[in-house]
Amino acid sequence: MEILPLVGITLAGAVLAVVLRQQRPELAMLLSLTIAVFIFLSVVGRIGAVVQVLRDLVERAGVSMFYLGTILKIVGIAYIADFGAQISRDAGEGAVAAKIEFAAKIMILVLAVPVVVAVLEAVLKLVP
Amino acid sequence: MINVDIIFKIAGVGILIAVLHMVLKEAGKETMAEMATIAGVAVVLFWVVPLLARLFEQVKTVFRLF
Repeated sequence: MEILPLVGITLAGAVLAVVLRQQRPELAMLLSLTIAVFIFLSVVGRIGAVVQVLRDLVERAGVSMFYLGTILKIVGIAYIADFGAQISRDAGEGAVAAKIEFAAKIMILVLAVPVVVAVLEAVLKLVP
Repeated sequence: MINVDIIFKIAGVGILIAVLHMVLKEAGKETMAEMATIAGVAVVLFWVVPLLARLFEQVKTVFRLF
C-alpha cells in the first residue's frame, strides 16, 4: 500500500515545519507548501485513472461529454482553491484565504449556469 | 513518487539559515544576518516554484481545466 510512506514522510515534514516555525516562519510555510504539493503529485495518477473510467462510462451511457467536463472542471477549481486557501490560512492570511474561496465560488457558479439552464429546458419540454 | 529529498533539503536550508542568523546576530552583523535569511528564502523559493508549476500542470491535464 502506498499510503504508509506518504504518511511517514508527511509526519516527518510536519515535525520539521514545527521546528522551523519558531525561527523562520516563512520557511516553515514553504515547507508545508512543499509537503502539500508532494502529496498531491503522488496521488494524481490515481485521480487520472478514475477520471478515465468515468469518461468511458459516460460515453457508453450516451450522455454528452459536456456535463462530465463541467463536473471535472468544478472539482478541479474546488481542489485548487481549497489548496490555496488552506496554505494561506496556515500562513496566517485568513482574509486572503476567504477571498480565494469567494473567487472559486464565483467561477464554479459561472460553470454551473449552463447545466442548470439545460435542466430547466429539459423540464419545460416535458410540460405539455 | 516524486523525489522526496526536496522536503528535507528545504528543512536543512531552513535550520541552517536560522542558525546562521543567530550566529551573525551574536557577531553584531545585523545586516548580514538579514541578507543571509533573504538569500535562504530565495533559494527555497527557487526549488518550490517549479514544483508548484508542476502541480498546476498536472491539475490542468487531469481536470481538463483549460
